[in-house]
Amino acid sequence: MFGALADATRRRLLTEISAQPSTATELAGELPISRQAVVKHLSALADAGLLERERAGREVRYHVTPAPLSDAVSWMADVGSQWDDRLAALSRTVSRGRPRSA
Amino acid sequence: MTDRIARELSLPAPPADVWDAVTDPDLLQQWLADEVILDLRPGGDAWFRVGEDTRSGWVEEVSPPGGEPGSVEGRLVFWWAEGDEPASRVELAIAPLEDGGTRLRVSEARPLDVLDLVGIPLSGAGGSRLGPALVAA
Repeated sequence: MFGALADATRRRLLTEISAQPSTATELAGELPISRQAVVKHLSALADAGLLERERAGREVRYHVTPAPLSDAVSWMADVGSQWDDRLAALSRTVSRGRPRSA
Repeated sequence: MTDRIARELSLPAPPADVWDAVTDPDLLQQWLADEVILDLRPGGDAWFRVGEDTRSGWVEEVSPPGGEPGSVEGRLVFWWAEGDEPASRVELAIAPLEDGGTRLRVSEARPLDVLDLVGIPLSGAGGSRLGPALVAA
C-alpha cells in the first residue's frame, strides 16, 4: 500500500481525487502527464485499495476508498463510549455522598 | 494496534468511598448496570444485567486501596462477556490524591491481547469457564 504512495504523481492524484472524484481524462487535464500515464497510476492506486472505480458512462470515475473501520477500531469506539457514560454516572454516585460514613 | 481502552478521572471523594462505589452491588447499580452480582474474591462470579442484556464473568483481583497519598493502589479486576462474545478484562485502579480525592483509572482490554500476554488461548464462552482456573492458580 505504501509502495503505491511512494510516487509524487500518485500522491498528487490521490489529493486531487480526495478533493473531487474524477476520471482519468479530467485528471490528465490537471496534470502535466498523459492520460495513459494517469491511467497507469490510477490502476496502481486502485490495486493498492486506495481508490475505488465507478463507471460513469464510457469513462471510469475514481474516488478515494473510505477508511475501513476495522473491528478493533469499532470495538474501542463502542467500549470507550460505554465507559464515558458509566464514569459520568459514577461521578454522580460518588458526588451524592459518602455511602459508608454518611 | 491494541484492543484496549483506558480512561482516567479524578473524583472528589476519598479512596474508600470510591472503592465502595465500585464494589458494593447497591452502588454499582447506580452506574455500572441495572443489576449486579459480584463475589469479591479471586475466581468469584460476576454477573451484570443492563436492560435485556446480561454479562457474566469472574473476578480476578480484589485489593482495597490505602488511604494516604503514596500508599498502595486499590485494584478491582474482573472479566466479563456478553453471550458467546469473547470475554474482556476490566481493571479499575484507585489511588489517593493529595487533595483528599481519588484518581480512578479504568481500562478494558479484549482477550486476544491480554491472553497473548499470559500465553493462554481463551475465546468465546469457554473463557468464562477457564477464567477462574486461570486466576485460582
